[in-house]
Parts: sequence; C-alpha cells; structure tokens
Amino acid sequence: MSKPEFVYTTYIETTPEKLWHALTDGDFTERYWFGARLRSDWKVGSSFEMVRSDGTVSDAGKIIEVDPPRRLAYTFVNLSDKYKNEFPALATFVLEPYGKLVKLTLTHEGFAEGSKFYSGISKGWPAILSSLKSLLETGRPLEIPYEALKFEG
Amino acid sequence: MSKPEFVYTIYIASTPEKIFEALTDAKMSERYWHGASVISDWKIGSPFALRLARHDKEVTGEVLEYDPPRRLSYSFRAHDGSDGGKPSRVTFELERQRDQVRLTMVHDRFEPGSVVLEKVSMGWPLILSSLKSYIECGKVLYAPWYENQAASPKLAVGGER
Repeated sequence: MSKPEFVYTTYIETTPEKLWHALTDGDFTERYWFGARLRSDWKVGSSFEMVRSDGTVSDAGKIIEVDPPRRLAYTFVNLSDKYKNEFPALATFVLEPYGKLVKLTLTHEGFAEGSKFYSGISKGWPAILSSLKSLLETGRPLEIPYEALKFEG
Repeated sequence: MSKPEFVYTIYIASTPEKIFEALTDAKMSERYWHGASVISDWKIGSPFALRLARHDKEVTGEVLEYDPPRRLSYSFRAHDGSDGGKPSRVTFELERQRDQVRLTMVHDRFEPGSVVLEKVSMGWPLILSSLKSYIECGKVLYAPWYENQAASPKLAVGGER
C-alpha cells in the first residue's frame, strides 16, 4: 500500500526569482493564500508558520531546505483539533526555468495512511497555486471562496 | 494500490461557458494546445479527434458526454498506438465558484501497465496551465521544447509534433 502523496505541477510565465519571492515573502503570500501569511526567516531548521489575518497561527512546522531560487522545502501541519493526531508532512517546491516559463512542482508527502490532513491539502493546493499563477501573470489573485473547497468534516 | 488515473484541478477566472467553448472549439484549442486542435461535432457517440500540430497523427476517440457548460468526456486512443488501441477516458467537469471556475480533469480507464498514463501526466499540467493563461490574459504558454524537438520531454497530450 503506497503512502498518500500529493504532486501538483503548474507552469507560470515568470522568473524563478519572482516565483521564489512569491513563495517566501509574507506580504505577497497573504495576497494569494486565502489571506494567510507565511512567517519564517527561511533558514534551515527555523520555524515555519501560517498566520491568519487576526494574528493567530493556523499551521506550523519547520524549514528543511532553502536553495534559492530552485528548491524550497518545509514541513507543516494544521493546528486545529481536527488534525490533532497528525504529524507535519513535507512540502517541497522545485522551480525549473523553461524559456519564459517556470515549471513549479510541489510534492507534499509523509502522510499517514488515511490522513485527513492529506485530504485537506489535496483540495487546498490547486486553489492556492491557481491563485498564485493568476497573481504573477495578471496582477490579480483569485479570491476563491474557502467553502468551495468542500472540506469534509 | 491506487487506481491508475491522473486528476488535475485548476481554478480559472472566467465563466463555465467560456471554458467549455475553449475545450470544444478547434481554433481556440489550437492556441493553448500548442497547435493541436480538438475536432468533433460533439454529439454523443460521434468521433472525437485531437489533431496534433505538424503531425499526420491524431488522438482519436468518441464523445462520451456533452453537457455544456458542465461536463465533457471523450475516449482517448493514443496517436502512436502506445495504448495498443485500447482507449482511456478524459472527463472535464466545470463548477462555477463566485467569479471563477473550478476545472477538474480526470484521465482514467488505463490498461494495466499503460505507458500512456505517465505521458499524459506530464502533458496535462502544461496544457491546462496554458488554457488558464489563455483565458485569463489572452496569452498562451510556450515551453521551449515545442521549438526544439531534440530537447523534448515525452509529452503525449499535444506536446509532440
């Protein structure tokens, strides 16, 4: 039985440097990440947090790999009771330039079988990365209704 | 073991009607599908073809579902016979979300050990990323390997030409 793993690839007309900034800058992330702000000093071993607009932390983990503008990896898990038995899983971003495009591949792995958090992130990432692509290409993020993700439970 | 299928979800700032048109119109598909065009009269059971650019070859199939602007499905026989002539299935589902659309594409019904799944898994993200850019900003995405066959990763979905 294979462990659940989520892989998502998208192509964005941008540069690896701009995309790297978009993935690591708190102000920028807030624009496309359902209003969440990523907080970290982006050093290996440092803490990684997603901060809601009211200042509370929704998800937390730590930085595993930082190699700008090519590879970024961190772990995190949502802190709500719904996921209280779950461990932080590893999200790795790989940025590869192809001419005017950057191929962004996200792999999110390390979930236990039957993980509810896995089910949640599988719905969340396509929305977040679609919004990121729109923001970089058109200057406007997508305001995706959170309830549209149809989270279970 | 999980089912052999490829699932891709993407959100596009548009309407289901516009996206459905882009998925079924030969001229529009040619833009974002890098010269490949979808050809059918879109009646259930009618032939479907994806004519690859600069190729005599085409992906062929039949229209399985046509429910504008919500669902579209066709069978998919690889242009190079790599599926042994046994078709897989492509299904698009469009759901309006406020001022956007959630597009979910499922490519399934592969034969055991099919090499087509691996190829389309590489192809669809580029085609659907290009579709999103085309609809949102009128631009299509060109990956350099479209201009340079030698450097081409093997893409089954319109990537080869």
